[in-house]
Amino acid sequence: MSASLAPECNQVKERYDTCFLKWYSEKFLRGAATTDECDPLFKQYEQCLSKVLKDRGIDKMVKEARDDNRENDAEHMKPKR
Amino acid sequence: MVKFYSSTDTYPYPFPAVTLAYFLRYPNPYSTHVISTDTIARDFDPDTQRLTTIRLHLKRSKLPSAVTKLLPRSLLGASATGDTQSYILEKSVVDVKEGWMDTESRNLEWTGVLSVIERQIFRRPVPDVPDDIKAFQGMEGAARRHGFLNFGGAGAGAKVGVDLNGETTDVESSVTLHSHVGETWRKKRAAASEGSSSSSEDEQTQKVGFLRSWGTATLQRNIEKIGLTRTLRSQPNAREGMKVVLERMREGGLVGVLEGMRKDREAILQGRDHIKKDGPPRAGEE
Repeated sequence: MSASLAPECNQVKERYDTCFLKWYSEKFLRGAATTDECDPLFKQYEQCLSKVLKDRGIDKMVKEARDDNRENDAEHMKPKR
Repeated sequence: MVKFYSSTDTYPYPFPAVTLAYFLRYPNPYSTHVISTDTIARDFDPDTQRLTTIRLHLKRSKLPSAVTKLLPRSLLGASATGDTQSYILEKSVVDVKEGWMDTESRNLEWTGVLSVIERQIFRRPVPDVPDDIKAFQGMEGAARRHGFLNFGGAGAGAKVGVDLNGETTDVESSVTLHSHVGETWRKKRAAASEGSSSSSEDEQTQKVGFLRSWGTATLQRNIEKIGLTRTLRSQPNAREGMKVVLERMREGGLVGVLEGMRKDREAILQGRDHIKKDGPPRAGEE
């Protein structure tokens, strides 16, 4: 698995990534997904990571980038045939 | 001015496998500069069956000497040798029913100097047959892919499945390079002269002075040109990286990919240790 930006989050990231890959390949890709089953693990991972993102000021950069492109996204991510 | 690069390619792998490889593409032997990858947001919409993912990558890079010559190093936050790290924000949406994955990656820092937006759209090719037959084939294809993506590792059957079904995935890639260098500084200077005094005003004036000697448009054009040269050089590596991951998947399923990643990650860590200690590999290492 890829490493986390924050070494202290590696363990929880690994748990989440493993769950996600299983869900993605066994449920999502087969069109059999009803909910994101790995969400509780994602919350734990997010909690660990958000502290680091805040400490390094990355959260602001990410927010700016996402706000900047909200309108673009509406256009860009529209359904394709 | 804006510079634009685009290309198309076809992977000899089924669409679901390609989307999985996209999520698993780091680390690979062609991406030793990628330090970390984190998922920062993920949303599954059960109604549309679409999955949206936002990830943050940290990449090590070396600024080309051409850039460090054009711009003051202090401005770029790079070391004397031009070493720097950069954050990349990646957004992707997968629609497995409709058979497309839309991705976009952009740099988070120095976007004023050079903003690089890379887009890749993966598509399951639409067969030239009536809709009812298509729907049936879609289900049949899903059943075959089932084996290919077996979490426990693909056996001989899954391998045959991939080779026999001959499914492919089309990909369109594009990179847009845009330099705004000089523009924000002009804005900031205007704001400063309106009364809101800035502590870095001297610095701003210095930068503006530096730029005036060049001409903003020329500088922007040159930076975009350098960015394009780099893009042309890095694109084949990105493609090769995806192919390595897909081959691992064909050979050993998801387990095979994860095992490959583990080895690549070790190699990257060891490589970094060697550089740090500046010594030969220890016994037992390859």
